[in-house]
Parts: sequence; structure tokens; C-alpha cells
Amino acid sequence: MAMDSGADGQSHKAHRSRHSGASAKKKTKAKNKDQNSDQKQQNPKAFAFRSNAKAKRLQSRAVEKEQRRLHLPVIDRSYGELPPFVVVVQGPPQVGKSLLIKTLVKHYTKHNLPDVRGPITIVSGKQRRLQFVECPNDINGMIDAAKFADLALLLIDGSYGFEMETFEFLNILQVHGFPKVMGVLTHLDKFKDVKKLKKTKQRLKHRFWTEIYDGAKLFYLSGLIHGKYPKREVHNLARFISVMKFPPLSWRTSHPYLLVDRFEDVTPPERVQMNSKCDRNVTLYGYLRGCNLKKGTKVHIAGVGDFSLAGVTGLSDPCPLPSAAKKKGLRDKEKLFYAPMSGLGDLLYDKDAVYININDQFVQYSKVDEMGGTTNKENKRDVGEDLVKSLQAVKSPIDEKLEKTKISLFSHNDRKRRKAIFGDGVDHSNLKSTDEENEGDEDDDSDNDNDEGENDRSNEDNESCSGSEFSDGDEEDLKSEEDDRSNEDNESCSGSEFSDGDKEDLKSEEDGMGNISKWRASLVERASKKQNINLMQLVYGKSASTSNTSTNEVKDDSENEESDEDEFFKPKGQRAKNSIEGLGGGNINTEDCSKSTKISELKNWKEEEVYESIRDRFVTGDWSKGALRNQMSEAKTEEDDIDGDFEDLETGEKYESHQKDDSSNGGIQKEDDDAIEERRLKKLALRAKFDAHYDGSESPEEETDVQNGGKFHRSQANDSGYYDKLKEEIELQKQINIAELDDLDETTRLEIEGFRTGMYLRLEVHDVPFEMIEYFDPCHPILVGGIGLGEENVGYMQTRLKRHRWHKKVLKTRDPIIVSIGWRRYQTTPVYAIEDQNGRHRMLKYTPEHMHCLAMFWGPLAPPKTGVLAVQNLSNNQLCMKPKKSPFEALN
Amino acid sequence: MGKITYKRLKGSQNMRQRLLLATLKSTPVLIEDIHAGDTLPGLRPHEISLLRLFEKLTDDCLIEINETGTKLKYKPGIIVGGSHLVHDCGFSRAIGYFLEPLILLGLFARKTLVIILKGITNDSKDPSVDTFRSTAFPLLRHFGVPSEGLKLEIKSRGVSPHGGGEVHLTIPTVQHLTATMWTDEGMVKRIRGEAFTTRVSVQLGNEMIYAARGIFNRLLPDVYIASDYRKRLEAGNSPGYGISLVAETTSGCCISADTTVSYPRGDEEEDIEDEGKKELIPAADVGEKLASVLLEEIEKGGVVDSTHQGLLFLLCALCPKDVSKVRVGKLSPYGIETLREIRDFLDVQFVIKPDPSTGTVILKCWGSGMKNLSRKTT
Repeated sequence: MAMDSGADGQSHKAHRSRHSGASAKKKTKAKNKDQNSDQKQQNPKAFAFRSNAKAKRLQSRAVEKEQRRLHLPVIDRSYGELPPFVVVVQGPPQVGKSLLIKTLVKHYTKHNLPDVRGPITIVSGKQRRLQFVECPNDINGMIDAAKFADLALLLIDGSYGFEMETFEFLNILQVHGFPKVMGVLTHLDKFKDVKKLKKTKQRLKHRFWTEIYDGAKLFYLSGLIHGKYPKREVHNLARFISVMKFPPLSWRTSHPYLLVDRFEDVTPPERVQMNSKCDRNVTLYGYLRGCNLKKGTKVHIAGVGDFSLAGVTGLSDPCPLPSAAKKKGLRDKEKLFYAPMSGLGDLLYDKDAVYININDQFVQYSKVDEMGGTTNKENKRDVGEDLVKSLQAVKSPIDEKLEKTKISLFSHNDRKRRKAIFGDGVDHSNLKSTDEENEGDEDDDSDNDNDEGENDRSNEDNESCSGSEFSDGDEEDLKSEEDDRSNEDNESCSGSEFSDGDKEDLKSEEDGMGNISKWRASLVERASKKQNINLMQLVYGKSASTSNTSTNEVKDDSENEESDEDEFFKPKGQRAKNSIEGLGGGNINTEDCSKSTKISELKNWKEEEVYESIRDRFVTGDWSKGALRNQMSEAKTEEDDIDGDFEDLETGEKYESHQKDDSSNGGIQKEDDDAIEERRLKKLALRAKFDAHYDGSESPEEETDVQNGGKFHRSQANDSGYYDKLKEEIELQKQINIAELDDLDETTRLEIEGFRTGMYLRLEVHDVPFEMIEYFDPCHPILVGGIGLGEENVGYMQTRLKRHRWHKKVLKTRDPIIVSIGWRRYQTTPVYAIEDQNGRHRMLKYTPEHMHCLAMFWGPLAPPKTGVLAVQNLSNNQLCMKPKKSPFEALN
Repeated sequence: MGKITYKRLKGSQNMRQRLLLATLKSTPVLIEDIHAGDTLPGLRPHEISLLRLFEKLTDDCLIEINETGTKLKYKPGIIVGGSHLVHDCGFSRAIGYFLEPLILLGLFARKTLVIILKGITNDSKDPSVDTFRSTAFPLLRHFGVPSEGLKLEIKSRGVSPHGGGEVHLTIPTVQHLTATMWTDEGMVKRIRGEAFTTRVSVQLGNEMIYAARGIFNRLLPDVYIASDYRKRLEAGNSPGYGISLVAETTSGCCISADTTVSYPRGDEEEDIEDEGKKELIPAADVGEKLASVLLEEIEKGGVVDSTHQGLLFLLCALCPKDVSKVRVGKLSPYGIETLREIRDFLDVQFVIKPDPSTGTVILKCWGSGMKNLSRKTT
């Protein structure tokens, strides 16, 4: 209040505009500029070209420039959620890398990070996560870091100037796709003289620009306050990072890769005890990036070698994005972070367990306490406490239990529940174990229910008569009593089947003939829904199915039987038999013929009704019917999918009739739907294209040539029709992919497309050399890259190389060098050559001084147009051989 | 990288697909028990010839066969291709047997493939060279292969016992294929065909054409079947005649059928069927029968006929990592086998959905991301 009154009385000082200094200069400059532009508009002719030749030259230059600006659009194949962006913090030692990461983490999460080891994942916004990695200062680490960085923060000691590490890293980045780069100047508080500081900033900035591009962002951190960077500056830096866009890089979009943020040795300890140098089994955890990863893919662990994956599992995201609620900013609760290598984060998610880190002083659960007092105090206890206790007492994890459980028609949870209710007193003694058993049982129950349903259905298929759900119910009671006596699931299962069959027989006789035909009709419908699975099973065998084998067999049989009876099924039934006899069977030497040689009985196509039956397949027939054939079927399959979910035995007929109505009156409707669908796809594609365009025009390269910008944009809109078309096609294809994949259910989708990007994966790799464990260093990030088709085999490659200007000496043929291509680094002996005028390759003993030459070497193949980098020596931190982006090819 | 791990397989079934996929993916394979139980164990002449063809096209490939010929070790090399190649396909299988893998191999070669294939051009077991030209080439166009480079010239025809045919094949290279959504089968708008006769009367060809037209005429007016009468050098070494038909639809699908009638080869395989074939089937019957076969193929539906299902699936699986969707009629045994081999080698599974209203099957797959690694870039 007092302050307010004081402020009221005070008269404000009037604003005085600057007459000298930087801001005044700026203002006058702007004014001049305005005037200039005004003049231009007043007399546009004065600035037009005057000669034809000049005009032509200008035009061709403009066109050329525009063409150079265009790049082949990179197809982004990430369909899943965006994985966290990797921010690599790089710089020479003692420049403040760890401190920057710490302060950034502090800024985002309000947590203090004791030390930076391994990747640190944080949620930085509602839509965005970041993963900070500190780049180690050896060449190997830098090469690996360059391969997974989305953004590289190059820390530069302002008081010292540029150091070689920065430039080396920049050169490595350029070869491996050149992600976004931002320079950060630190140690600026060492300057006492403001003028000198300004000069240095200017100088460093321009040097930085020549290395990257004019206008590249260089950020200044002015110094330390209480051993931390100033809050405001860190905030600004975070802002810069948060608005940054990351264009897809072609190598990475075509290969899946993981930056490992958790790493464990899962070798059986006995083996290690026997031989401490035995090959190890390891698990690697990380977000999947790049493109989808299939289960059979081989991976390359950088610096270790190629391995096939022994197991891949998708885990729940340890650092999920906040739920999409309409609110501004992040709540504190949502500001998660995850850094297992740094030993932070309270939750650890594994394939079969979640580890909770609880400080000892807060909680004290011990078994002793439990054993003593559970039985009596049961009711007074907190539910959560009980749960935790029961969890502690788990003997075998749930998934193991699930494996152990067998199919049983009748769930025996009734029995359990009843006992609990009546309180026999026998089970109370080990109540905590029953608790968790119940938990498991609930899972079992659901399984059982499913199985039950399937079995029932299949049984009915066999007998083709009406359902017996209620009778099942009766039996269930009976059975459960039996179960009390003998717990053998198998017996009960078989027994119940028999009884089912008997009952159904009776039933069908009672119902009479009319019902049977009705049933058959419904069976046809239902079987058609089931065929989806069956066809895939027929082709790919039983392993593809997720359900139990026994039920499948029953199903197959039933189908065969049906096909004998039913006209509708003839072709497919035959196929089933064929495949069982000829393909699945023992004959492994069947003749390899694409033409089906035995032409079975042909129809007499001279008869009128026979040839009239396919009249609509010809242009002479009914066009509308022919067209409907496609659309109907499309719509039909979709409907089938939807209805398949709700399929119910008793109400099955109702659904069916409903469906029939739909399809009969909806011919034209479907057509409309299809058109709408297509339009929707197109629209999506267009929008995405626009987005991409918009992003592109924001990119800094264009900001630099603002003067010419307007002109180019206009000409681009007119001329680059092909480019636009290309982009549109790519986008359309992407939308189609998404639409098609969304149709599938989750398990098939996983099988078809593999694990989606952005998933948190656990990779299990066997027989890794023990050195990986022995010399594991959390500060040295582990990169796991997927190997594309044909990239695992070795051969001769031809590359174009140029000696880097910093490398002091020329290189000699057959001197070993270390090459980095794709994900790999390996040592090899190149042979240098140069192409003569006559097209021959002449071997060179030494590389030329300032020219490209060819290098032939033996190694794992990589696709053409991959960047190559070679170094001669890893020990001294000096980059030796630096090629331009080298087109290269497999020789051999 | 010294030790090679071989993928172990058994039996001679699907030799072509296995070798093809092994070469494309560069997986070494070891095939055991090849015709092990037969009276004449070991690789058949056409299989040997196929291996020789693969050896011709690739560089640094390694083929080892044991003494009895029941075990084959194959380490694929880099597909080179190139021109001025000649291959004698022998007389045990027709050229069509070799063409099917050759097409895909040629697409992913380093250099454009120009090859002369000698042997039997038309056969009842394998698709004829005419069918290849009329059906398989348009099929490739759907996957982004430029149609200009594809060429197949029939210099001379040869039928079954003694062959003597010669075809010149040119296949361009591609960097990668493009995925396709190809479910619209359209309606048959025209039927084309070619009836050939070698070392027999022209009249037989005309009879076939007449008989086939007799069946089509009630359905479609636009039927044109050319007759190709070969004599002397162009006619090969054996007498025979045959016909191949193609139905083109409004959506650009080609559905084909072909057959050939000639005297069986006696010396190699004593098939029971061959005994009955001492007398050749009359030409009119052949025409009529083949027309019926074509109509049956049309009735089954799908964008390709049953013969080309395998090729279609392979192309889908070799696409970049996009979704391809195709519709075929009833799955043929060969198609099913191909699907399995694709799963084993390329790790690509198809989603197979029947379409009960039309009796067709819709297949979807996510391509394997195959790229031409050996193609030269400037």
C-alpha cells in the first residue's frame, strides 16, 4: 500500500531517445532503409535491368540457386510417438559441459543432478522430450555421438577461443548427416574489458559462421553465478532448444537405432564364475528411433560388432509425455526425468518387474513383521500395505505363472472365492499367498474364459448345432465341486468336452431340421470372420497364432468338415487340404512350378449360364456391378472386422441380419464412403505438405538471404511442380501406410511392421565379448544401430576420399586407417587410385595433396551415397583423413 | 568376419525362390537332401543350369555340391548383370523357369542385364515367353520399373524334346521399387493372344485361334489372337504348337494363360502322364481348353493370375518400407510357398484377409526396404 502511494506521487522520467551509440545507429539505419525501399517503389524502373544479357544471366543464376536449394525430400518413416530428441553437449575438457547439462536439467525438472553419466531423459514440454548426452572427448565417442545427435551444442571456451575438438566434431557431424548445431560460448566472465569481450564474440561468431553457415546460432553464457550459469540465460537457451526443428536425416530415417540409456549384464553368474572372460549376455534399453525395428533385424553395437537380437520387448515408457489435457505448461508432477546410468529416477521398469527405489528411512517392510502378525490383523490393515506385502512374497512372476497354467474349461476361482467367503480356516494361515494367487487367478480367469468361448464355438462347429451356454453354466457348478476333489485341469477339460458334445447332439435333435439350416447360415457368417486368422495360419503355420494350439486344431478340422458340406467353402477348403497334403507334408522335393500344372475339371464355358456367370467381369457386362465388386468387398472386410469383435454366440444371428441390411442398401453409400476416405487422405497429405513447406521456409538458411527470399519463393511456387508432386506423393504414401496399419490389431501389427519408433525397447543380445562389460563406461554412450538388407556382408568398396587439410601428411596405400561408415567403425587397408583420362584407375602410392582420390577397401558393405570418414590414429586426438561426402559403391 | 554361417534348408522345393532370395539378401544357404530318396539322387539338370545362371550373373559367389549332388552350399555374391551373356537353359525345363528369378535378379543388378537364353521357349509346365512379355512386364510397371528398358525378343521358338529356341532379354536396373496399392481388378476389356506353330502346318494355329475365339465371342468382341508361324531356323528342333492368351482389364491388370502341345521328352523322366501323350491333342481342343482356363482365371478374380502370384508377392516384399496391398484370387500352392520363403528370408509377413463376397484374397505387407546396393553411382 505504502509503495503504491509512493509511486503515485512520483513523476516519471520522460523517455530520452538515444542520439549516439549502437541503438541510435540501428535506428538511423532502419530509417534509411525504409526510405530506400520507398524510393524503390516510387521509381521501380530505375532498378530494372538494362541489358538482355544481364537479364538472362540474372535469371539463370536465380534458377540455379533455387535448384541448389532443393533437396530430394527425405521420407520420414517414423509412425509412432516422437522419441526424445538427443541433445549432444560437446566441447573440449573443462569447458563446462556437465555443468550445462546440470543447469538445464535443473531448469526443466527442478532437480539437482549430482553427476552426469549416460543419457538423461527429461520431459521438456507437453509435446517434447529431450535426452541430454555428454560427448566424450575421444574420437570414437565423438563419431558415435555424431551418429545419434539431433542437436549438437558445441561448447566453446570464449576466453581461449576455438579448440580442435570443436572442429573435429563439426567435421564428423558433416559426414554423418549434419544434424542441427548450436554454438555456446562459455567462460565469458574471464573478460574484464567489455570492448575486448565484444570483439572476441564477433570474431568467434564469424569464424563459427564460416564453418557452418552465415547466421548459425551462437549462444553466449556470460559466466557463473554460485557455480551455475545464470538462470535467465539458461532459460533462454532452453527456449532456443524448445523451438528447434529437427529435419529428418536420410541415413537415420532408413535405419532403426537406439541410444542405450540403461545397460545390464544378464549372463548367468555361474558362467561368469567359471570363466570370467566368457561371452556375455546383455540387455540394452533405449528409445527406438529412425524407423521401425523388426524382430529379426540384426544390429550393430558401435565398437562391439554385429549381433542378432535374442529378444526384443517393448516396455512402458519410463518417461512418458503428459496426458493431453487442455492446460498451459507442465505441472511439476509431469516434469519427469529418467537417467538410470546417473542413478536417478525412482522407478525402473523392466520386462517383468518394476523396481521402486524407496529410501530406507521412509519405509520398513520386513518379512519378520509380516509372519508375526498378518493373520489376525488382517482387516485392520491398509489395503496398499497388504498389496506391497503380498508383492514381496511372490514366488514366481506372473508371466511364468501364465505359462504354467493350462487350459481349463471351467475356472476354479469359484472354489477359491467360496473358501474365502466361508472361511474354512485352513487357507487363512497363508493368506498372503492366496492374495497374490488370486491376482494371478484373475488373469487366468480371463484366459480361461476366452478359451472356453473358443472351445465352445469350435465344438459347435464340429457338431453344427445350437449353443449350450446355459448347460455349460450348470456344469460349471458341478465341475467346480469336482475340482475340489481333484485339481487336474486336463481331466476336467476332456470330460467337459465330451459332455458338451453329447448335450449338443441331443439339443440338435430336439430342435429339428429348420434350426439346423439356420445355424448353418450363421456358421457361414461366423466362419468367414474367422478365416482371417485361419488363412494366415495356413500360410505361416501355427506359430503365428497367439491362441492355444489345441483349439486351433479343432478349428481347422471343423473347417475342413464344413467345406465338405458347404458350397460356399469349397475353394478354401480345398486349399487347406492342398496345403496340408502337399506343402506342409513330408515331400520336400516337390517340383518348383509356378504354373499349376494339373488343370482340374474345367467348366463347360459354352453353356450359357456358365459364361453368363462371369459376364460382369467383362466390359460387356454390368459396369455398376463390376465396380461394386471392389468397393463392396472393401467395405465388407472392414465391417467384418468390427463385427468380429462383438461376435456372440447367441446373438450372432442378430448381428448378421443387421449386417446384411447394411450391405444391401448400402452399395452406393459405400461408394461415397470410399470417396470420402480418399478425400480425407488427400487432405491430410496436403496439410502435412503445407506444414513441411512452412517449416522449410523458416529454416535459417533462408533467413540469411532475405533479400532474395521473396523472389525465390514466388518462382518456386511456379516452377517446382515436380518437387511438390514428389513431396505430395511421399505424404500420400505415408497417410496410406498409417491408414492401412491402423486397420490391424496390435499383435499382427507388431508382426507386420515391427516395433514402432518412440517405443522404449529392451534388446537382449547374446554372446557379446566380455570386454563390453569389462570396459563399460557410462560416460561413453552406446549406440545400437539396425543393419539394413544386405549391409551385413562384406566386400570391396570404392569411395572418394580427400585428405583433410589439417592432416599433416599424405596417406600411403595399404597403411591401415579406421573408417566410419553408417553405424560402423572398422580398421581396414585402403588402396588409393585415381581415374585417368582414359577411364582407367591408376593406383597411387600416396594420396594427392588437395584432390579427391578413389580408395578401395574391404569391409562390410554400405549403401551408395553414405558418408565416409577415416582416421589414422585414435590415440592422439587428431582427425586425419576427412573426405567430402563420398558417393561410393560396392566393388568386388 | 571369417566364418560364414549358412542358413540350413532341406529338399529341392522352391529352389528358385530360395536361391533368388538368398542372393538378394546375401544370405549363404546350405540345402540338404536334394532328391535324396530318388532313384537318381541329386540335383536335376535344370537346377544345375539355374545355379550356373546365378553364377554367371553374380560375382564372387561360391557354389559347392557334394558328390551325389544331394547337398548344395551356396554363398551368394554381388549381382553384377551385364551384357553379352549367353545361357543354355537345357531341355529339362523351359526358359520360363529361369525367367522368373532372372527378372528380379536383373532389377537389382549393378548393370543392365542383356542376356541370350537358349532352350525351350514354350512348355506346358512353365509360363511361356509370350506370357512373360504380355503379363509379367506390365506387372513390373506397377512397382515402378520403367517399361522402356524391359525387352524380350523371341528370335526362334523351340518346344519340348529338343528345344532350339532363343530369346533375347533386357532388364534395366532400379534403385528401389515402389510400393503399390493394387486391389482394383477392373473388368476385362480386351483379350489378346498369340498362337504359334513350329514345324507343323499353319492350319493348326488357325484352328486353335478359331476355337478359342468361339468361346470368347459370346463375352467380348475385342478378341484378337495373332498367329505366329515359325519355320526353318526360327522353328527350333521339334514340332509343336501352342497358344497363350492375355485378358487385359480396365484397371491395367493382365490375366494370362498359356499351353503348349509337343512330343514329350522321353529320356529324362518317365512320367506316367507322358505315356498317354503319344498322340498330340488336336489343335481345336487345345484352343478351346485354354480359353476355358483363361475364363476360369478371370472368374477367380484378383489382379494377377495364379501363375504370377509368386512374382507379385516377391515384388511386394522387396518394396521399400511402405505398405503394399494387392488382391489375388485363390492362393495358389506356389504362391503360398513363396509367402513362406519370403517370411523365412526377408522376415516379411503378409496380412492375408479373405474377401468372401468376391471369393478373392487381399494381402497386405510392409516392404523389406530392399535397395540396390551394387548399383554404381557417379
